Parts: sequence; C-alpha cells; structure tokens
Amino acid sequence: MSPRLLLLRLLRRWHARIGFAAMLFFLILAVTGLALNHGQGLGLDGRFVHAEWLARWYGIKSEPPREVFRSGHHVLTAANGRWLLDGKIPGEKLPRPVGLIELGDIFVVASDAALYVYRENGELIEKLGPGALPGSPVRAIGSSARTIVLRTPSGIFASADALSWRPAPQRSVRWSVPSELSVSEQRAYEEALAPGISVEQLLLDLHSGRFAGRYGPLVVDLLALLLAILSLTGAWLFLVPRMHRGRH
Amino acid sequence: MSRRPRRSLAMLTLALGAVAAGLVRGEVFQEPDAFVAEVFGSKPAPKVLWLTEDLQAQAAAILGHPPAQLRQRYWSDARKSVWILEEIGKEEFITAGFVVVDGRIDHVRVLVYRESRGQEVRFPSFLKQFKEAKLAPGDRLDREIDGIAGATLSVAAMERMARLSLFFDRTGRK
Repeated sequence: MSPRLLLLRLLRRWHARIGFAAMLFFLILAVTGLALNHGQGLGLDGRFVHAEWLARWYGIKSEPPREVFRSGHHVLTAANGRWLLDGKIPGEKLPRPVGLIELGDIFVVASDAALYVYRENGELIEKLGPGALPGSPVRAIGSSARTIVLRTPSGIFASADALSWRPAPQRSVRWSVPSELSVSEQRAYEEALAPGISVEQLLLDLHSGRFAGRYGPLVVDLLALLLAILSLTGAWLFLVPRMHRGRH
Repeated sequence: MSRRPRRSLAMLTLALGAVAAGLVRGEVFQEPDAFVAEVFGSKPAPKVLWLTEDLQAQAAAILGHPPAQLRQRYWSDARKSVWILEEIGKEEFITAGFVVVDGRIDHVRVLVYRESRGQEVRFPSFLKQFKEAKLAPGDRLDREIDGIAGATLSVAAMERMARLSLFFDRTGRK
C-alpha cells in the first residue's frame, strides 16, 4: 500500500474517532450558540433558572426567608431579591420590602425606594419611584382612615391615592410590621425563593466552558482545536482523492 | 468541580452581582421631578391615565410586551404633556422623559440609565432625531431613527417609549 493511501486511511480513521468522541460537546456548543444568537428574541435574559443546586454550583449563598408581612388578605415574604406574594413570584430583582398594607380593593408594598400598588388580584397598578414619593428612603408603611401612610426621614406623609401626599400626624397609624416565619414556613418558602441564574448567563457559561470552572474554557479551547483538525482532515479527505482521480 | 474553580466562579458571580447592584440605581442624569419642574416652571399635580384593556392591548402592540402597570401618571397643560417612561434596554430599565407638544415630540431626555453599555442614547446628537416626531399610521414614528453601534437595544427601547408617549398623549387628550 502506498504511503499516500496509508495516510488517507489514517486520517479517515482519526477523523471519525475525533468526530464521534466530541459529538456531544459539539452538539452542546451548537445548541447553546444557536440559542445565544437568538437570545433577545427568545427573551433569555429575562428568564431565570431557580434551583438550589445551581445556586450552590455558582457559589451563591441562598438566604432563607426570615420574616413575613401579612395584611388582611395578602401575604408577602422575600429573600434573594425575590418576592413571594400570595404564593406567586411577581418578578425578579425586587428590593427588600419594608411593609405591606391593604386598603379596600388595593394593596401596597413598600421598599425603601419605591411603592408597588397592586389590585386585589395581584395586577400591578403602578410602581412609584423616589420622584413620586414624599421622601426617601421609606422607613415604614402603614394605614390610617383609608389612607396610605409613609414614614420617611422628611417626616410622616399620607395619601389616599398615592398621587398627592400631605404631612400626617403619627397617631392612629397602623404600621406594617413583619412577623417571624416558623421553621416549617421557612422550608416551604425557601425553594420558591431560591436565587436565580439567568438562562442567558447559564448558556453563555455552558458555551464558553466556564460552567465547569477554571478548566472548562481550556476544554472548550481543546474542542476548538479538534474542530479545526476535523475541518482540515475533512478537507483533505474530500480533496485529495479527487485531485488524484483528476490526474489519471 | 474542585473548590478553587468554584470559588473563582463564586467570586466572579459576586463581582458581577456587585456591579449589577451598583447599576440598579443607575446613573441619574436628572431626577424625574426636576425634569417635570423644568418643563412647566414648577411641578404641577400629576394626572393619571388608566390603561383599560383596549389601551393595554394597543400599548402592548407598541412595546412588544404588555405594559408593566395599569396606571400611567403624567403632567400636562393645555398644549403639552410630559411622560416619564421606563423600558428595558437589554437587562435594566432606562428612564426617559418625553415632552409632547401638539401631538409632536418637543424634546426627550434620558433621566436614569442603568445598563452597562449603550449610554450614547443620552447624547443630544441622538435625541434630537425625535424632535417634531409624530405618530404615523400603525402607531409608528413618522421617521426612521438612526441606530448607534453597540446601543441597538437601548435605541429600540427609546423608540418604543417615544411611540408610547405620543400614543398616551393622544389618548389622554381624547
């Protein structure tokens, strides 16, 4: 057998071996790459994976919920930038709540920098930022005679509609105060409030190999090298026999 | 995963978290209150536009997603209205103020920018493109807004907010 044929046979064998061995990794790279390429359209940055094992893998310390705010019909507990409001997660990256009050058919959650006014069914009516508040940070929220009352460093203010605020006396205000969660409640809420990793971040880390830690990118580098070898050997296997046939 | 890589991943995540936390408040170029007061001379009492189901559907068509809230506050007099709107660029909200006079945008200002890149949308050279813009059929702007390399999503968010402010102005005056 001529040396050229031997080389071709060797290349074909190793082309197949490398392709088969790296198939799973190439598929992961292809799928994650495709998804990342369309990440905006798929809304990947707005989706989060919440799992305690994943948070542990990323080294993110999960804070268990410790306290709960209760009004007549609503319950709010929070941890890890998430709220569990009446058993539902209303969004991501939410601030730590300082209180919850209920007024007729609306309820209001306060954080130190914003008020979140909700309909009874949990639909957000309006989020009021610092510019719409009479003072900031909000230290406490309460209710008095069908008005929302806020305690801020500038004083105590009341509003019936969360649009205009007037100074208010402190007496007869029912301030929202948290109560401690029992251990069983903590366990029940902890899983729902586990910290999240955005799907886009997760795919990026899978694609780059960083998900596997410091040596992950080196593995991806090796895969890139293998891909280069595959393309070169593929080109060789495709072209050389044709060139040889052309000469005869 | 050994302890070291996990620790480095944790450090990276914490660092990213710290950066993200720092950006949550964002860079405040002008407080929304100050913007409203600048337009009217003093800050008038706010008005509210309730988003009925029909308005929600139309706002969703403009934004490409349902509006975040059911009540939009604004400030207005006989001719002009001011809308402070928020929209996500890539991951964080951009807060911008829109002044609409006689159904056309008079001027726009980026008030708070929280994204890590794309801040060029706050430059007057970009914002002046919105001057005199009005709604064309289909609730689109009557002109093309030139993009900025590296700020595509922020540009798109600004355009959506501009359309929404004109739509809200039209609705608020009915």
